Amino acid sequence: MPNLLEVRDLSKRFTSAGGPFRKARSMHAVNGVSFDLASGRVIGVVGESGCGKSTLARLILRLIEPSGGRVNFDGDDLLAKTSAEMRKLRARMQMVFQDPYSAIDPRYTLSRAVAEPFEVQGVKPARPMADEVAELLEMVGLNPGLSTSYPHQISGGQKQRVGIARALALRPSLLVLDEPTASLDVSVQAQIIGLLEDLRADLGLTYLFISHDLSLVKYFCDEILVMYLGRVVEALPDTKAPARHPYTKTLMESTFEPDPKKRRLIAPLEGEVPSPFDLPPGCAFADRCPQASALCRTETPELSSKTGHAVACHHPL
Amino acid sequence: MAIRSLDAFARMSIGRAFASGVGLVAGGFLILLVLVAIFAPWIAPFDYAAQNLMNANAAPGWPHLLGTDEFGRDVLSRVIHGARTSLSVSATAIAISMTAGMTLGAAAGYFGGFFERAVMTVVDLTWSFPDILIALIFVAIIGPGLTSTTFAIAIAYLAQFTRLTRAQIVRLKRETFIEATINLGAKPSHILLRHLMPNAIAPVIVVGMLAIGDGIVLEATLGFFGLGAQPPTPSWGAMMSSGTAQLFLSPWVIIFPGVAVAITVIAVNLFGDELIRALDIRDRLRGA
Repeated sequence: MPNLLEVRDLSKRFTSAGGPFRKARSMHAVNGVSFDLASGRVIGVVGESGCGKSTLARLILRLIEPSGGRVNFDGDDLLAKTSAEMRKLRARMQMVFQDPYSAIDPRYTLSRAVAEPFEVQGVKPARPMADEVAELLEMVGLNPGLSTSYPHQISGGQKQRVGIARALALRPSLLVLDEPTASLDVSVQAQIIGLLEDLRADLGLTYLFISHDLSLVKYFCDEILVMYLGRVVEALPDTKAPARHPYTKTLMESTFEPDPKKRRLIAPLEGEVPSPFDLPPGCAFADRCPQASALCRTETPELSSKTGHAVACHHPL
Repeated sequence: MAIRSLDAFARMSIGRAFASGVGLVAGGFLILLVLVAIFAPWIAPFDYAAQNLMNANAAPGWPHLLGTDEFGRDVLSRVIHGARTSLSVSATAIAISMTAGMTLGAAAGYFGGFFERAVMTVVDLTWSFPDILIALIFVAIIGPGLTSTTFAIAIAYLAQFTRLTRAQIVRLKRETFIEATINLGAKPSHILLRHLMPNAIAPVIVVGMLAIGDGIVLEATLGFFGLGAQPPTPSWGAMMSSGTAQLFLSPWVIIFPGVAVAITVIAVNLFGDELIRALDIRDRLRGA
């Protein structure tokens, strides 16, 4: 399978302006992230809140301008595109947002919201717009009779379905899912995940799935990237692969096990995530890591792969 | 069809503002006042400029229901025509101010950066000038009259509309649906005109409504100082000004225009409050 998306050394540094009473400070929200996403695959990105996974999604779609690196989408170098070219390309790379409650303009009816992608891209569908809207709503499991409703009249799960319908209206090839279920009830989460699975099979979509829920990512994705403080610390080639980074291991052990016979003591992670402003030298995880040695506190480990399972650790498991 | 459109009106926010007793009385009075202003020449019992020195300073009675002024002109007719001056000057000024303020505020809020700082600095500067001083500047440039008054009122309220619109746009810009629409490939014009402005406009309209009340007072103030409407054009402020000379001889000359200003401003404010309640935007008005 050819790569639909190639990300190389993507970085974003946010700088706070200095003044007479404070120094200018900068933080690396995303630091040298590289990966390939093959057409039709699903890559999951996991990490704690604040690790830069949502920023990574926005950098890839160029909703935030990267400070460095490259993004290749289907052979196009995105960062070389003018804003007009970029607007055209956006039709093929869509995003589903974390907060469905504010993802639709409160003054738009559902049909207007779902028809907006066509309006914005100047695309005239072959069929009447009402038919197109009805089919999109049906495709995401909504009753087309809802098309005259306003967002405040429908539930969170229904709003997220509208968000998915809007994203799919122009038949994109890449869908970036930024915690699409994080603000929904558990039962609704399962429905949305089921819908996303069906849509991927039916439409041949490629997903970049961002989540803090490792068990969900393991269920849903083909490959997993684990992020810690802006860096990818481990790239699991499949969901069965055992953790090689101590951080991934702790994450995996902290997932809840429903079977009481398999319950074990969850060892909570000691310490705090260091401030991204004043990163200590060496491995960012060293202060919380049981395996840390003197080397870990002086030298940052590079992401290196043997046998396709890359890990950024001096003492991999 | 008639029932459907009536129903639609009741569901609109402006319709809901009429639903309470206060809203109905205040709103009804304002509608009546607008009608009076529009049809002033037909409603007024006398010519507002017709002098009758033989009957000067006549007390309220028949046929001059509200009495006559020092030139024997009918006070009722002048108050009715004065409504025309007060309402049209205030409404025109606020319309100019609102249009300019919304454009500047939206552009400042949307584009940000140096442009935003430049616009807001200039706008804040206009706010620091007393209204009377702004009016005097215009009088010095284009001479006294209603045009000067209109521009002075427009500039006096510019900062309020600009700041409020900017605050709305800055808040809305962070909403997910804006990012989602940008991600669909929307141009800035689409974002501004189809999403940001329609969502920002409600509180601006309410503040505009309330500002019309303040504008009437400001117009009366400028008229009182002789900077506004020039004789014989009747304006509530100018009438009160000329009435001061006969304050003890014929108090009705100053009382009735004053009462007209007071009732109108109270009605505007009460109706504005009902509108704020109907639109449920009290928390969004703090940005101004």
